[in-house]
Amino acid sequence: MSSRHEVRNHVRHHRRLVHDMTQQELADRVGVTRQTILSIERGQYNPSVGLALRLAGALGVSVEDLFELDREDGHG
Amino acid sequence: MADRAGGGTRPPLTGIIAGALVAVGVLLWMFVSKAFLFVAALGAFGPGILRELGWLRDHDEFQRESAHRAGYHAYLAGGLAAALVVSAAPWPRLGLDSSPEWIRFILVVLWLSWLFSAMLAYWGAQKTAARVLRTFGSFWAVFVLASLVGDFHMPATAQELFLGLLGVLVGIGVVAPFFVLAWTARRWPRSTGLALLGVSLIFVVVFGWNRHTPLSTTYLTMTLLIGPLAVSALGLLRERSSEAEDEGPTDVPSSASRVSG
Repeated sequence: MSSRHEVRNHVRHHRRLVHDMTQQELADRVGVTRQTILSIERGQYNPSVGLALRLAGALGVSVEDLFELDREDGHG
Repeated sequence: MADRAGGGTRPPLTGIIAGALVAVGVLLWMFVSKAFLFVAALGAFGPGILRELGWLRDHDEFQRESAHRAGYHAYLAGGLAAALVVSAAPWPRLGLDSSPEWIRFILVVLWLSWLFSAMLAYWGAQKTAARVLRTFGSFWAVFVLASLVGDFHMPATAQELFLGLLGVLVGIGVVAPFFVLAWTARRWPRSTGLALLGVSLIFVVVFGWNRHTPLSTTYLTMTLLIGPLAVSALGLLRERSSEAEDEGPTDVPSSASRVSG
């Protein structure tokens, strides 16, 4: 296994800059706790596909705008 | 463990009911009959069983994942503790046949592992440490208060008054550091972690091995007293930075974060 995938997320950027929304407001919209939003934004938790879709819907963007996959190959 | 999905920071109804069942069950177990322990068990394990059956849906996916991962950690820690107890020393010396304390020790390791893994995953080290320290401080405060009230009598001389005041000051001196560390854990996690490690070592010296105390009692005491403090200390020492948790619309946005996929 020479490659490693990482997920970068831009939830905080879209929530704050684009929508001027608090974590609690976003949490209420997608039906999770504020702590869950906090952990996603900090990169400590990768949401399920379902929650990623709900987040994207709440922020009015596509899932790809919120999450992107980095690939770090062992060969550089 | 956590806030209700989408419900802000107030304690969830399930948690209040479960906590009340545990408290009532323990009191009935202590003062009425040991058979009432099942009431406490209903509070401790009932919500989790209902969630697994799909009849209670008060947790979001992150809370469920934290709880599931904590279960695996508890399995590892509890299994290791059980294997160590059984294999580390001859059975007659441990008193495995006669003492239920070893079983309690394994159960405490199992339960504390689950609890701390779930809390650290969900809240992070700083919130977990702050809550642990406030809990410890509250317990010490109850003990100190009970002791002061129990020993209280109207001072007849200036010396008795002085000794009484000294007792109050010592009591505050024992309780206050826990609340101070709970406060500093949110601001200076690593320094607080170091201080907590020091407190843990002091506890090891004060409550540590005594040849007159059964080994099982020592293990149980050490796990209950020092385990939570040491785990909180290590969690704080591993904390990278004290990030702002929330929340002002004018805050500068952070750069994109990364998680291993």
